[in-house]
Amino acid sequence: MVENEKMKYGSLNRFVQAVTGLFLIFFLGVHLYVAHIDFRHPVAFFSSVINQLHNPWWLAFFLIFVYIITYHGINGLNHIVADTSISERAKRDIGIALMVIYVITIIYGTILALLVARMTVPA
Amino acid sequence: MVEANKEMKEGISAWAKFYRKGTGYLAFAFHRLSGLVILFYLYLHYTVLSNLLRGQATYNAIVKSITYGPYDSFLALDFLLALVIFYHGANGVRLALNEFGIGMYHHKALFFTFEIIAMILLGLFDYYALQFVGVGF
Ligand code: HEM
Repeated sequence: MVENEKMKYGSLNRFVQAVTGLFLIFFLGVHLYVAHIDFRHPVAFFSSVINQLHNPWWLAFFLIFVYIITYHGINGLNHIVADTSISERAKRDIGIALMVIYVITIIYGTILALLVARMTVPA
Repeated sequence: MVEANKEMKEGISAWAKFYRKGTGYLAFAFHRLSGLVILFYLYLHYTVLSNLLRGQATYNAIVKSITYGPYDSFLALDFLLALVIFYHGANGVRLALNEFGIGMYHHKALFFTFEIIAMILLGLFDYYALQFVGVGF
């Protein structure tokens, strides 16, 4: 029974990893196009980034992007940890630590994006 | 089963042993490796972006200093990163479809199909991104 619950959780987790991965195709595609081709620079400069974040739609795009990409990466790392031969207890502890890192990262990312969106480009 | 048990005992180092494990294993190992590389880069990216708060002059100076690096090595790393991302994305779509029960019996064909499409897109991306190297510096 416990084993069954674990299997169910494991497969839900893999399913979420797959769905977030597919979303990332869209987000990364748009991001790579905008930041490396449309900005006409090998990397985005200050003014291009600030101008983009002044648009609330782009701000929302980036916030969702950060939530999804960080989730996918950290959850993927958790899958890898689950696949090692360390003890179940260590796996659980690392899982909790990764969850905390995820939450801290997205809070930090949100604050950073909101602060940057409020900056002005000097003339 | 016996193989799997042996691998459990060997631990993480067993992942890096490719000998006679076939395309499926290579695809799996590189998917794992590429995922870790992109995750590492993601945090590097967040760190660089944090410098936006330090203002235009500082941010632009930092971006300038890290775009090319010594002997353009950072630029070369950027191309490697793009390769890793496109590889992971293409294989990831195949794995995601599998998760929804699609393409379970055509692993190899789908792997090559998606990777070829991704490498063509990567070529286009690199070509267009390269047009702007040096512009504005
Ligand atoms: C480009 C779009 C992407 C797609 C379609 C995608 C898809 C996937 C899928 C389906 C898996 C699960 C593999 C499995 O269950 O065996 C996965 C694993 C993973 N992904 Fe992604 N991914 C993408 C982007 C990313 C990015 C940007 C990162 C880093 C932030 C990342 C990091 C990882 C990691 C660390 C794993 C775990 C590898 C493992 O379990 O062996 N992926 N990806």
